[in-house]
Amino acid sequence: MKTTLIKYFVLAVLLWFFAVPCYPGAGEKEPQSILYFYNSETNINNFVSLKITFDTYLSQFGDYYFQPFSDQSNFESFVAENDKGVMLLSSWHYSMLKDQASLVPALIGVSNNKTTQRKILSTQHDIESINDLKGKKIATASNISYSENLLREMVGSANEDVVSSVKFVLVPKDIDALMAVGFGIASAALTSEKSLENFKDINEKQYSQLRQLGISKEILLTLAVVHQKADAGAAKLLATLMKMSTNPDGKLKLRMLGLDDWRPLTPSELATLNVTEVKGK
Amino acid sequence: MNKILTAKIIRLAKHGFKTRLLAAAAMTCSILSMQLPADPSNAVLILNSDNSVGRYALAQSTFEASQTGEKIIIDLGDGQPHDEVIQKLFQQSKIKITYAIGSNAYMLINQLAADSKIIFSSAINWQRLPLEDHTFGVSNELPAGMQLMTFRYLFPDVRKIGIVYSEKFNEEWVAEAVKSARDAGIEIIGKSIDDHTELAPALRSLLPKVDALWLISDPSVLSSKDATMEIFGQSNAMKKPVFAYDKIYTDLGALLIISPDIYTISRQAAALVDDLLTGTKITEKVVSPAGSHVILNMKTLNSFNVRLNQDALDSVNQVIE
Repeated sequence: MKTTLIKYFVLAVLLWFFAVPCYPGAGEKEPQSILYFYNSETNINNFVSLKITFDTYLSQFGDYYFQPFSDQSNFESFVAENDKGVMLLSSWHYSMLKDQASLVPALIGVSNNKTTQRKILSTQHDIESINDLKGKKIATASNISYSENLLREMVGSANEDVVSSVKFVLVPKDIDALMAVGFGIASAALTSEKSLENFKDINEKQYSQLRQLGISKEILLTLAVVHQKADAGAAKLLATLMKMSTNPDGKLKLRMLGLDDWRPLTPSELATLNVTEVKGK
Repeated sequence: MNKILTAKIIRLAKHGFKTRLLAAAAMTCSILSMQLPADPSNAVLILNSDNSVGRYALAQSTFEASQTGEKIIIDLGDGQPHDEVIQKLFQQSKIKITYAIGSNAYMLINQLAADSKIIFSSAINWQRLPLEDHTFGVSNELPAGMQLMTFRYLFPDVRKIGIVYSEKFNEEWVAEAVKSARDAGIEIIGKSIDDHTELAPALRSLLPKVDALWLISDPSVLSSKDATMEIFGQSNAMKKPVFAYDKIYTDLGALLIISPDIYTISRQAAALVDDLLTGTKITEKVVSPAGSHVILNMKTLNSFNVRLNQDALDSVNQVIE
């Protein structure tokens, strides 16, 4: 009798073990997912504040946390060695990394119903040509390699000597870059077109004294990307990002990144990034 | 450096044993506390007023990361005597340029090596420093116009801003601010006071006429803790936001804090050092900070009726929630 009872008990345990699915159930903790952030287009140095803000927001929806990076090379090494989580980065940076790190874009940032922006080279009025920029200071809120690349694209390969001679003054924000020109601290500023429009609103006199000497092509805004081997946790984190704009608090947090929404990329946006295959499609 | 140490020890041998022992220990500590490059010829001397002060430490680390040349680092806040070591370095032509962080560092190097090239930053009220032909720096004060434009960007409906000030300390500054404000579409209403007894009535008269109060660094206005409490007490009671210049005021309810960005200042100092090293002509002896650090107090925003331009949130460095 005792032996039979033991047999039934073992059988019940085995049945329970195979019947219960192997994913987190009620009361069981889901694996942690991390939102990594490095943006070559913004010289953000408020990592502590950004981390607290995003950690507080994301933790309402799961075991998520936000990990900003201040250094491009550290971020790149990390991305190369880690296939978990979601990464927020500029489209320029994505294009550089996508092959070596097997990254696929999942979402694109939206600002004022647009997923692209243009960058403008604004100069003091007495700088009349690209050649006049030689040796001058250019204020920028983007990192140096991104700014150099942008300037090279704007001035053309014939003016490589200008690109190599300018000195970049790194500032925290686009608006600082424009004010640096307005107050004579720098000779030129590399900023987004949107920032220049905002500058016009806050000081029309200084705006009128600027000269627009270069303009970039349309550049895709910030991307949320995942590894090709991304796990279910990354998918859930992406879904949480997508819903940010429907939550007033989430929308406010998005504004801190200069965005007001996320959405999946269109085929033409994927083509711009030379992406032929996207996970889940 | 070994030569300096040897010479010092020989000189010490002429004095009494105790003196010798103490002096040798102090000298050794001073030398050991310095960070020397392998070959310090034509190095940049980083002279820090006190590296235990957060903003000075940040200025130093940012400068070190931005300036690629050889560096010798001396921290004046380590409690060790440094005068003789610094003099020796200059006598042996080891130093090309000094980067002085803070007023104490500047005053010391100006006294010990008056003819040398100096770049300074993080000095409060640099105008009181003795400046020589070969002295350059980055101011620690943001131009009033930059601050006003930031106010306007974040709070487009704030068009009248009040300032309580003393003519003794801030007459010229306020006159400049009034001029800059016009370009930013803002009207500044100033109220000058002679001493702390005039503060409360000045606020009572000023606050009903303005959309916000701009707290500036003025010893006659911020003469005591009570004076500060009076300013915030009256402003909060009238739901008038206060824009200030230091993070300490967020605890009292300041809505916005704008201060110079230390990273930017230190990179500007490094660029000035590069200009001097490469012989590039420097047109302005003291340049303004090119970037600001903006703190927004959401707790105050939520309790006051002030419209925030949410598009400008990406220009905020820190949000207090």
